[in-house]
This record gives sequence, structure tokens and C-alpha cells, in this order.
Amino acid sequence: MAGQPLLEIHDLSKRFAQRAGREPPPWVIQDLSFTVGEGEFLTIIGPSGSGKTTLLNMIAQIDSASGGSVRFQSQIAPIADPKALNPGLSCQIGYVTQEDNLLPWRTTLRNVLFPLEVQGRLNDETRAHAQMLIRAVGLAGFEDHYPHELSGGMRKRASLIRTLVYDPPVILMDEPFGALDAQTRAQLQEDLLRLWDLGRKTIVFVTHDIAEAIALGDRTLVLTRAPARIAGEHKITIPRPRDIRGIMTHSEFGPLYQRIRAELQ
Amino acid sequence: MATLEGSPDSNGAIRGGRAGALMRERGDQLLVLVVLIAIWQALSMIYGVYWIGSPWGVLVRFSEGVLKGELLRHTSYTLWEAVAGFIIGAVPAAALPFLLRRRPIITAILDPFMVGGYGAPKLALAPLFVLWFGIGIESKVALVAITVFFIVYFSALAGIRSLDAKLVQMAQVMGANERDVARHIVFPGAVPYIFTGLRIAMPYSIGGAVIAELISANRGLGYLIQLGAMNFDTTGVFVALVAVTCIVIVGNWSVNVVERRLLRWRPPADLKLETGA
Amino acid sequence: MTSQDTALELTQPSRLQRQYYAVIAGRIGLALLLLAAWKTGADRAGPVYVADPFQVIERIFVDTQSGVLLRHIYVTLRLSAMGFAIGCFFGVALPFLLRRMPRLTNAVEPYIMASVGVPKYALVPLFILWFGIDDAPKLWLVGLLVFYPIFIAVFAGIRNVDRRLINMARIVGASETKISREVIWNSLLPFFFAALKIALPRAVSAAIIGEFLVGNEGLGYMIEYSRQNFDTTGVFAGIVVATALVLVINAMLVEVDRRFNAWRPTERHMEL
Repeated sequence: MAGQPLLEIHDLSKRFAQRAGREPPPWVIQDLSFTVGEGEFLTIIGPSGSGKTTLLNMIAQIDSASGGSVRFQSQIAPIADPKALNPGLSCQIGYVTQEDNLLPWRTTLRNVLFPLEVQGRLNDETRAHAQMLIRAVGLAGFEDHYPHELSGGMRKRASLIRTLVYDPPVILMDEPFGALDAQTRAQLQEDLLRLWDLGRKTIVFVTHDIAEAIALGDRTLVLTRAPARIAGEHKITIPRPRDIRGIMTHSEFGPLYQRIRAELQ
Repeated sequence: MATLEGSPDSNGAIRGGRAGALMRERGDQLLVLVVLIAIWQALSMIYGVYWIGSPWGVLVRFSEGVLKGELLRHTSYTLWEAVAGFIIGAVPAAALPFLLRRRPIITAILDPFMVGGYGAPKLALAPLFVLWFGIGIESKVALVAITVFFIVYFSALAGIRSLDAKLVQMAQVMGANERDVARHIVFPGAVPYIFTGLRIAMPYSIGGAVIAELISANRGLGYLIQLGAMNFDTTGVFVALVAVTCIVIVGNWSVNVVERRLLRWRPPADLKLETGA
Repeated sequence: MTSQDTALELTQPSRLQRQYYAVIAGRIGLALLLLAAWKTGADRAGPVYVADPFQVIERIFVDTQSGVLLRHIYVTLRLSAMGFAIGCFFGVALPFLLRRMPRLTNAVEPYIMASVGVPKYALVPLFILWFGIDDAPKLWLVGLLVFYPIFIAVFAGIRNVDRRLINMARIVGASETKISREVIWNSLLPFFFAALKIALPRAVSAAIIGEFLVGNEGLGYMIEYSRQNFDTTGVFAGIVVATALVLVINAMLVEVDRRFNAWRPTERHMEL
């Protein structure tokens, strides 16, 4: 499944800045290396506080690294200097954050169109694409609602398709379904897999939920507690399309779940 | 950790050099003060002390005024008007929502009148008060009182409305009667709101007194300002202005001190949030 | 300042209905009572101290027909509008400028905040001395009184913009200009409106007070001139018109705010 590495993370490290007169601060992330292939759905799982968000922030170029490099399509991203950061790497890396970060003064539709608008790509074709995505995640009829009028799940959907709409080659997702109830969560996982099946984007999906990591990914990386290092790597060969709600009954699921849980201890 | 913002580098950097940054900030602020005084001095030299009293001249006159008691006398008139008006306006304004707490219909009837009174330009009543109460202290007290009243009324009302019904129920379950509830639940809960109103009303009370004095009076700081302007004595005007500003600053400070003593139970973050707003 | 109606307990529809009518009747009754008190006061105290309400209404009517009153209103409103425009411009522009100069901001902030405490009305005699007796001193007064609430609100608003929204906008490719216009401006719009609700009525009041102190036209002049001539009916008429003017502006602002900020879940409480 994995083709050419699209994204290469090499020896990436992060520590808080030194404070005057104190011992050096601990590493949040230390010498982390992995690659993500084109069209791959990579899940990263780690205990809370293991620097997962920091990792994604660095890849998304909204936070600088203390060491190491990030390459996208073999080009080195300017990641060391906080001033040279290029958030989103010129719209090539999308980022679905834990909070939906919808603009509260824009309606659902206008939130979804926001990236197209600022990129100057708003036309009939992209507009139709946005409408299609809105229908695909069941937000039809809510286009003119403001974020505060939507439920948590709906806001999540809107924030998801706001990233999908401009088609970045890589999408980072930071526990996007973390705060939702189990039912909504399963529904959104299904939606995500369905959408992913349409375009087969490259996705880096961070979670602390083992079942979610297995259910969604082609491959999963297990991180240790801070400083984050890779504790294990697993290919997930459960065939697609997958049945999210019934995934626990698949023969591969149980042993994998146990192994990952052991690595997380 | 769960946010897009958490940039450890920049946070750390700020915290790391905090002492140094603070020193630099204080230095910058001192520099700005020096520059401001220099500009003032330069302006008074360019236009002459006739138009703009010099900083030194103002300082000399100010201390003269304080030493001779002249300035203190006028200040005390203004202060007295402001304090009397403040109390006459604030006490019933704070009490009314309490008395009407169990009578929502009366509160509702009053509402449009209170909103109208709150929005109405009270300072425009100054000539009327001068007409009714003469140019003495009474007209100023009346103007200050009516200005303060509406501001404090709405803050006290907000305090009553913010009341947590669950707390009242809890107290009632534990056997509290109506008076206990009012004293131990409603009042403490409303105090922060009332103080917000007092803090807002404070500068208005001094401003109201000064404006009434500007329009018609024979003593007080507003009168001093008007007198200085009529005699083309800008230094005198500046001295009076400095005195007024001092009162406002001291007034603000004392409201804050009283508030902090009365509201020790509040989490400090809350207080910070409010003063920061 | 919302209506109290919501606080009325919803026990039974019929009871609610009764309470609603009681409130309406009470309001009308109270209004009539105030009017009666005014009338009685006028009869007791005499026309020098309290003008007769009906004479005041008649005066307003007559002056409106002759055009004198409209002229005064026009002068006052024009002054308010010009002063408002000046104060508003600087109140918005300055925080955006300071945003780019954090060091300067920290250095000047305490002085700006201290200058809030200077009673602006007390500066009018000085302004008259410096800028003459035309519109200039009044414009300074109105401008300053408008400037402060708006400056403070916009300044605080810019500081409170959600960093995460800015990061999000950067990631999807928004330019700095677009971020200023879209994210920052919209985030501080509620703050701006809260300030506007203070500043706009204040501009009109300030214009009126300014006219008390200097000038020969406008509502404030009309009130003060009447007072000096012991024309109490004129004083009352002027005050009634001035109050009505400010209240109408208030009501219009509330309506505009409601439409403009429909995206907001609830009214934000702001102190200024």
C-alpha cells in the first residue's frame, strides 16, 4: 500500500526553551524518525502527555523543532527557525485539530469555503465540491447555521471537510474525535473512512484510543511517554472496506490490541 | 497540550528572560515618561507659558497650592460633593434590587424606566439642578447622585440575577429562612457585581461634580479650572487638572482596596481577569 | 439591560399571561404617575422652577414647526457625528498600529491607561483657550470621549483573539492581511460594538455639554440659554429632546448589534 515516502521525519526533537539559572528542561520528543507513504493512513498512538500534539504542530509548521528535520516530497521544511516557519507548508499539509476551530461568525458553508476563499480558488467547481462534501457528511440543511447552533459532532464534521475541501496532499489529524460520545464517534470514523476511500489521501492520525488506531490505520506507530520515542510499529492488514462497529470481532484485532497495550505500559 | 497554540519555545523564552524583560519594560516606560515631559516642556517653551504652563511651573504652583491650603480647600469641596453624591446615589441603587428580589413584576415594570434613565444624558440636567438647588454644593451632589444611581442599580441587578438557584435551594434545605438566604447567599454573590458598578461609577462621580462646577460654581476644582481659563492662567488650569486626576486615581485605588478586602474568598484568577478586562 | 420578563416564573400559561398584562398595565400606570407628579410639581413649585408638561410639549411642537429646534438638533448631531468619526478612527487605528510594535505598546500602555482617569470635560476650558470658540474645542471633547472606550475595547479585543483561529487560518493559506480582516476584525467586533454602545450616546451627550460651555447653536446652547433667561419651559423642552435623541440612538444601536452579531450565542458582558 505504501508507495514513495511522501513525508519523512528524521531525528525530530523538541524541548522547552532553557530557563535562566535552571537545569536544562526535559525533552518532549527525542530523535523521532518515521516515514509516511503516499496514500497511506498512518495512525500514531501514545499516552496523553506524550507530545503527540507537539509532534503534529511541528509537522504542520506552526511550532519550531529543537532538532531533526521534516521532509515533504524530498524537500526540507524550514523547521528550526521559529520565524521562518511556513504554516501548512503552502497549503500542502492540512491539519484537523482537536478543537474544531471553526470561525464563530461564519456559517457552516462559509466556514467550509474559507480555505478556498483565502487561496483564491473559489469557483463553481470548488463550490460544488464543497456542497458534495457537506452532503456526504450529513450536514445538508445546516449550511446556514452558525457553529454555536451545531452539535459537537456536526462541528467536527464541518472542521473535517473544511480541510478536505482544498485537497492538501497530507492531512494531519489530532484526536479529532476525542471529545465525542461513542455513538457519534463511530459514525464519524465511518464517515472518515468513506471519504478517505474516495481520494486515498495521506493521513497522519493521532489518537490515544487503541481501538481507533487499529480500526482506521494501514499502519500504527506506538509512542512512549515523554520524551516520545517509537515503542512499536504494526502493519494492520484488516481488509478494507472495514466495518468499524464490528472491528473488534476480527481475528487480527484482539492480538494486536494486546500487543499495543503492552507497549503502552 | 491539546491546542494549536502551545509553542513551548516562545513560552519558555518569555519565562526564561522574565526578570530581564521586566527590567527592559520598566526602562522603556521611564524613557516614555521622560520623553512626554520633554515634549510638554518643549511645547511650553515654543508657545510660551501663557498658552501652555511649563511642567516646572505647574509643579511649583501645585506645591504652593497644597502648602497654602488653597488647592486643598477647593479639592475638599469637589471631593465632598463627589462622595456625598456617590453615597446618596449608590446606596439606594444597590438596595433596590435586593428589596425587589421577590417581586419580579415590580422589577419588570421599572425596567424600561431604568433603562431610559441609564441611557439618558444626565449631565444635561446640570442646568436644571443649578436652577433648583442654586450654585452651591447641593446641585452638584444631586447631579452626581443621579449619575451614580443608574450605573450601580444595573450592576446590583445583574448580581441578583446571577444568583445560583441551587445555592438557595441548598440553604433552604438546610433550614435557612428568607433573611438568612438574603444575607448569606444573595448578598455575598451580588457584592462583586456591585463593586464593578462602583468602580465604573467612581470616575463619573468626580467628573459629574467637576462638570457641574464648570457650569456654575464659586468654589471647587471645576471652578478653579474655569477661573484659570478666564484669566488666561494655563498653569492654574493645569494644576487643577492634575488635582482632579489625582482624586480619580486615588478613588480608583481605594475602591480596589476595599473590594480586595471584601472579596478575599474569590479565586485570584477571577480578580485578575476582571481588572485585566 | 434585558427585560425582566424572562425572570417571571413559567408556572401556567394563564398565570404568565396575567403577569404579562400586569407588567404592561404597571408600566403605563407608572408613566402616567410620573407625568402626574411632574404636573403637580409644576403647579406647586411654579413655572420658574418646574415647567408645565403640557407647555413643554407645546413648546417642542412650536419650535419644531418653526424649524428652530430642528436646526439645533442638526447642529448637535453634526458635531457629534464629526467628533465620533475622529475619535472612532483613532480608537480603531491606534491598536492595530500598536499590534505591530509590542515593545512600544508595553512602554506607553500605563500612560494611556492613566490618561483614562483625566475627566475630559474638565479640559474644555483649556480647549477653548487653545482652539477658540468655534467647533474645534467641542470636537476635541467629543473625539476624546469617543476615543477612549473604543481604543480600550479594540486594544483588549486584539489581545484576546484566539491564537488557534489565527494558526488555523495560516495553515489553510490565509495571508496576514486576510487574517487581520477576517479573524482579528471579526473577533473584536463584539468588543467594538460594546464600546460603540457606550461611545455613540456619549458623543451626543458630550456635544450637548460642550454646547453648554461654548457656542451659540445646538441643543446644549438652547438649554443653557433658556436657563440664563429663566425660561424653564425652554430648559425642560431641551432636556426632553436631548434625552429622546440619546435614547433613540441607543435603541438603534441595540438593533444594529443584534443583526450584525447574529453569530454570537449570548450577549457578552463587558466592562469599560
